Amino acid sequence: MKAFLDPMPQALHGLRVVEFTAGMAGPWIGRFMAYCGAEVVKVESKNHPDVTRVYVPPWAPEMGVQTQLSPWFTDWNAGKRLVALDLARPAAVELCKRLVAISDVVVENYSTGVMDKLGLGYAELQRVKSDLIMCSSSGYGDSGPYRGYVTWGPNIEALSGLATLSGFPERECTITQYAYPDPVSALHGLFAIMCALDYRRRTGQGQYISLSQYEATASVIGHFLMEYLANGREPARLGNRSRHAAPHGCYRCKGEDRWCAIAVFTDEEWKRFCGVVGEPEWITDPRFATLSARLANAAALDRLIEQWTSRRSDYEVMTALQEAGIAAGVVQNVEDQFRRDPQLAARHFFEEIEHAQKGTVVANGIPLGLTGTPGRTRGTGAAIGQDNDYVFGELLGMTPEEIQRCVEAGAIERP
Amino acid sequence: MTLDLSPPEGQALFKRLAQTAHVIIETFPPGYLDSLGLGYEVLKQANPGLVLTSITGFGQTGPQAHFKSADLVAGALGGALHVTGEADDPPVTLAGSQAHMMASVTAAVSSMIALHHSAVTGEGQHVDISVEEVVVAATHICGVGKWLDDGIIPRRMGTGLFAAIPSGTYPCKDGLVYLIVNRPAHWKALAHWIHEVTGNEAVLDPLFDGPAANRAADRAFLDGCIADLTARFTVDEVYHEGQRRHIAVTPVHTAAAVADDPHLAARQYFVEVEHLGLGTLRYPGAPYRHAATPWRIARPAPRIGEHNEEIYCGELGLSAETFRALQESGII
Repeated sequence: MKAFLDPMPQALHGLRVVEFTAGMAGPWIGRFMAYCGAEVVKVESKNHPDVTRVYVPPWAPEMGVQTQLSPWFTDWNAGKRLVALDLARPAAVELCKRLVAISDVVVENYSTGVMDKLGLGYAELQRVKSDLIMCSSSGYGDSGPYRGYVTWGPNIEALSGLATLSGFPERECTITQYAYPDPVSALHGLFAIMCALDYRRRTGQGQYISLSQYEATASVIGHFLMEYLANGREPARLGNRSRHAAPHGCYRCKGEDRWCAIAVFTDEEWKRFCGVVGEPEWITDPRFATLSARLANAAALDRLIEQWTSRRSDYEVMTALQEAGIAAGVVQNVEDQFRRDPQLAARHFFEEIEHAQKGTVVANGIPLGLTGTPGRTRGTGAAIGQDNDYVFGELLGMTPEEIQRCVEAGAIERP
Repeated sequence: MTLDLSPPEGQALFKRLAQTAHVIIETFPPGYLDSLGLGYEVLKQANPGLVLTSITGFGQTGPQAHFKSADLVAGALGGALHVTGEADDPPVTLAGSQAHMMASVTAAVSSMIALHHSAVTGEGQHVDISVEEVVVAATHICGVGKWLDDGIIPRRMGTGLFAAIPSGTYPCKDGLVYLIVNRPAHWKALAHWIHEVTGNEAVLDPLFDGPAANRAADRAFLDGCIADLTARFTVDEVYHEGQRRHIAVTPVHTAAAVADDPHLAARQYFVEVEHLGLGTLRYPGAPYRHAATPWRIARPAPRIGEHNEEIYCGELGLSAETFRALQESGII
């Protein structure tokens, strides 16, 4: 297989990235870079495959766990080159170093200390590539008393304070179903790498970056932490309410588990809102006439609004309010987004890409919005070691015989 | 700095600023800059390498580009709300405007990528960030790939993660921990710990070993077994003993617990920033530690127009007289 050919120049064309990653927080960095034209080589081993490979929805349990079928693996590793090496063997570590020597960036999210133990720590790698940029992402960062602790995305949500701050006041805490700290950490990591690339372009110097997923998630609730740090007050849990808008919440609509989010900020919007719901007398009702009155009587207001919304479909509610210039949006599920969202469809958000075993799969869009260099997904994540021949043959210039010797020695693993 | 973009003099000043800028970030409604004659195509003439980053609820194009957005609305349409909260509760949003947070981090990433391209090729571009799209992307774990595979639309189910069994919050003597099993080896370690402490034999059943699917039917039973373990200890005991056993268990922190966490203290995560008239405030610090170019807060958020003179006179070279006149006419 030859190098991917791009029909148009992409923003990160010419960069090569090697990643030692699993899950989402690490792989999503390479996913974005590959989408923007970088050549991304992911190193896995059969004994330690990316954990997402074993998450396969149970659509055919009798087929067992087929490691190419995970929709998470295929998406978060789309467009990458996949090689398989047994990193316990010195010959495999040497091959990694040869690969790093012709690359620009290394990304890893193994447990803290594992890369050092493998002989692939920053100091070792910098010897073969003096201006290397390496980003390590871990739950707690590379220092501090708990640096080796095991975490997954939801742990970080709990640890960072986000879980306790979120949700309805009568609940204990809220944890997302989408491991929010994973995308948060990946985006922070990618930003840090792009900053380091900028510095390298200007000075010729690479550097090591350590990212703490705990700190990345704490930073997106920094303003809440500030409230405690500055005033010593534990921030209150607001549910869907806002201190600056009322009504502000999710309102039940017609149908099973259907809701529309509504946010009314200004008095002008409030007047228009009253017009849409056909209750012009609310405008002068002392309970609702001003924002502070609406905030004080939010529960009563919510009940009245729900009497209007619950007799209408969620899309009807959204359209009627949006036509009056009021922020409203259906609480969409994944099927709504894929089948019923004209905006996502018009912007071609979902991408159909080829998959070796399934024919095609649908990938989520990469929301970078680069109109000059739009990016694209070049194939899904596939089998472990699927690109061994390209990477070791074409990139490292090894002969088939050399590759075969490494296979026999157990350093390179066949798919 | 401040600038009134409606009069022609204001627009001319904006164009002059754009000439030497690397990136312009704006959050006006789509088409607003165009209507002033300050859209990307115009600015590009003055500065071909310019990156113009626009952040809007739904993007610059499409039938709903003009829709009004809000953080709650973006979280709703983007799919975050539908899957967050307790099964019997209404959908609920995360604290702290997380749709907008994610959009701003994505916009920062995208601007840096566009800047990289601009530095290499000399060609800038318009970056069109849609907050809705950012949320759809960030919630991909329960997104289109999974659903098209198994036909199950994920919805709210409390604190347990649908794909990881067991997982969720568990009560201790003095608070909650979050515990999640994501690898077969972690289940074994947890089962042995439960057995050791509570004498529960059932958890050792080999039928529970392996991937999460093998434990799916008994999720509620296993949650009970874990709660029986955690209830005997304090949060700190479960946290550190669990981690000693390589089990992914962590406390459910309050803001105070984050501020006082000895781990963050050892890493010097919080930094001090001097505020004029307020003394020193503690801020959350950098989530990424660059070895060669450490992040820092150079100064606190400025007051409105604080740097007008510095930029108009220093950067653009306006005379003190012109500057004063523009101030008096309200353009600056």
